[in-house]
Amino acid sequence: MKIGIPRALYFYVYYPMWYGFFSSLGHEIRLSIPTNKEIINLGVSHSVDDICISVKVFHGHVKYLLNKKDLDFVFVPRIASEEKYKYTCPKLAALPDLMKSAFVNDADRILTATFYTRQGDKLIIDAFEEIGRRLGDTEERVKKAAKVGIKYQDLATKALRSGHTFLEVVKYIKNLEELIKKPVEKKRYTVALAGFPYDVYDTFTNGDVISKLEDSGVGIVTTDMLDPKVYRHYSKYMIKDLFWYQANAAAKGGMYYIDSSDIDGIISISSFNCGISSIYQKLLDLYSKEIGKPVMHIIVDEQTGDAGLATRIEAFIDLIRVKRGDGLVSQENNLHGTEDGVHVRSI
Amino acid sequence: MSRKKITYTVPRMGYTYAAFESFFKILGYDVIIPEPTNTETIKEGVSNSPEYMCFPFKILLGQFERVLEKNPDRYFKVVSLESYGPCRFGYYSPLYYKILRDKGFTNFEIVNIEGIYPPLYKGIPRFFKKLIKLTGWHAPWTIVKAFVIAGWKVYALEQLEKKLYYLIPREKVTGSTEKIFNAAVERIRNAPNKVKSIKKILNEELEKMEKNPHVERDDLPKIGLVGEAYILMDYSNNLDIEKKLAYMGVDVDRSLRVTNWTLDRIIKVKSHKAHMLEVNKGYLDFFIGGDGQESIMNTILYKKAGYDGVIQAQPFGCLPETAAKEILTKVSEDYDIPVLSLAFDEQTGEAGFVTRLEAFVDMIKSRRQMKKEEKKESVTVEG
Repeated sequence: MKIGIPRALYFYVYYPMWYGFFSSLGHEIRLSIPTNKEIINLGVSHSVDDICISVKVFHGHVKYLLNKKDLDFVFVPRIASEEKYKYTCPKLAALPDLMKSAFVNDADRILTATFYTRQGDKLIIDAFEEIGRRLGDTEERVKKAAKVGIKYQDLATKALRSGHTFLEVVKYIKNLEELIKKPVEKKRYTVALAGFPYDVYDTFTNGDVISKLEDSGVGIVTTDMLDPKVYRHYSKYMIKDLFWYQANAAAKGGMYYIDSSDIDGIISISSFNCGISSIYQKLLDLYSKEIGKPVMHIIVDEQTGDAGLATRIEAFIDLIRVKRGDGLVSQENNLHGTEDGVHVRSI
Repeated sequence: MSRKKITYTVPRMGYTYAAFESFFKILGYDVIIPEPTNTETIKEGVSNSPEYMCFPFKILLGQFERVLEKNPDRYFKVVSLESYGPCRFGYYSPLYYKILRDKGFTNFEIVNIEGIYPPLYKGIPRFFKKLIKLTGWHAPWTIVKAFVIAGWKVYALEQLEKKLYYLIPREKVTGSTEKIFNAAVERIRNAPNKVKSIKKILNEELEKMEKNPHVERDDLPKIGLVGEAYILMDYSNNLDIEKKLAYMGVDVDRSLRVTNWTLDRIIKVKSHKAHMLEVNKGYLDFFIGGDGQESIMNTILYKKAGYDGVIQAQPFGCLPETAAKEILTKVSEDYDIPVLSLAFDEQTGEAGFVTRLEAFVDMIKSRRQMKKEEKKESVTVEG
């Protein structure tokens, strides 16, 4: 069978697991194209107006896949909880219901299951069995495939921990072991990106922050590269843990990076009208005020212009250069010919 | 033995602030109730909270800040009601604490009341610890008495409110019922701390309102209100939507009240959850926190009870309500009931708001007319 996976939201966290599962069952996986203007327009026209841009983009990806009539199913999982006693954002927990009410005519082509991750393999296997029943595969094969999926996810986690971004994981999905062995290039400056994986890695919506930074000679680390163990102690500063795993990762990971000496600055990326990021951004603000490390918030929406963003990133890079005592970007090192050496994406 | 002088301040929740006030008065503390939401409190709250934080958070922060600012010589316990769940509601108090401290206030501590949440071996002791922190050390019967009196006052105020919105579209002299109601609220607020006397005052006042000249009629259009609890329950946050609708000649009903909200959400009545899952089957039968699921359930229940329209009141960017909003479009189509979603934020202007309400009421009235004519036609054809 042909299964479409939208390249948005939890794709940027659990794609290796789904890839391992579906491919070992022998189903063909079709990813939607990376977000572009067309996808955003599709999403905006099919969703309510005051929902966050990440979910709007997800609408666009699902619609794009539903428009392809040869796909049997479009995979829209419900990630209910990513840690014991933790939840996901209400909008994401209601995602299959949102899709079913947004695309009423194609409601039975939406393949869904409720996932509880990081709480033991049994709950994940249960969710995969629900999918297997829908796809008509035998229970034995489904169990085996689920285990393959979990193995893939573990490998991907290892790759992330060794300093590779999730975008590389997607590229190297067929041989993750090779990626783990691949060394990470160390650069003079390192900027940490704090935020939900789907905001950090969606290169079109966030104006390609990652390549803008990398092109100007700044290495990046993200909060999903961190093992939750290293930032557990920040819950004391936060008084009460946040109820969302990803927000916890962004907040505490951001604080961890604020404290670590080899990170020059933190850029937190979130989408317009994302309620949860407003909380962790405030926490990061207050914490950076105490420690004294630059934190910049980028809030993206469907109208984000590239030039304004480039200016802000240039200014941020200048700031961390000055803080290090290197001075501003000189014209000799300017590879891109723009005023401050930041690559401007052609539209 | 002298107690450390503590003043309490509680979130204002519609008219029921009188009940919270008497709760702490019985325990022997001073209480200062924040002023109703107005442009100044909103301005104060908005300028200090994160940009995309819920509107109720901004309102409450502004209210507390004003209270702390005006009484610098008192030591406050700021009471904040919370839950533990996917909704941002549960993370209010740490942010209050951090933001108010960042602003330089030191004369306060935050007391949050939460329900019991898992893991139970941690949740139950935490609940009682918080309860003691809330009330201080008192004889158990004093606390029980305070709870009972506060509960009765909430009940009495809600009965009066219900009666008010029932009578406004029917009264002969516009505004006369409201006058009686305002006096009644003041009487309940100052009632002696005895169940008997609260009951007596309630009955007297209900009778007085009943006697106010009015015309009984049952052909009024009916509108139900669903949405986020705090926006819905406090009249100063939703620009008095209930009263406005009532004065437009609409029978209006609010789905969430302090009594049923406490029973369903804090004490967690089992039947409520089972009922909700049954009604919401196929729309949103998964727990998403906040009042999102309730909004969908109540919309369906209103349709079944013969209402003509539903208004969903939500703060801008509310997580569960935005999810519910998208699903409500489908519910509205399937059940053939008009739903108007109103998002409230600091920019909400009164004039535009009234125009939208009027247009909605007009639409509902014409829909009723059309249905009546259709019925008449079908009767004549059959005849």
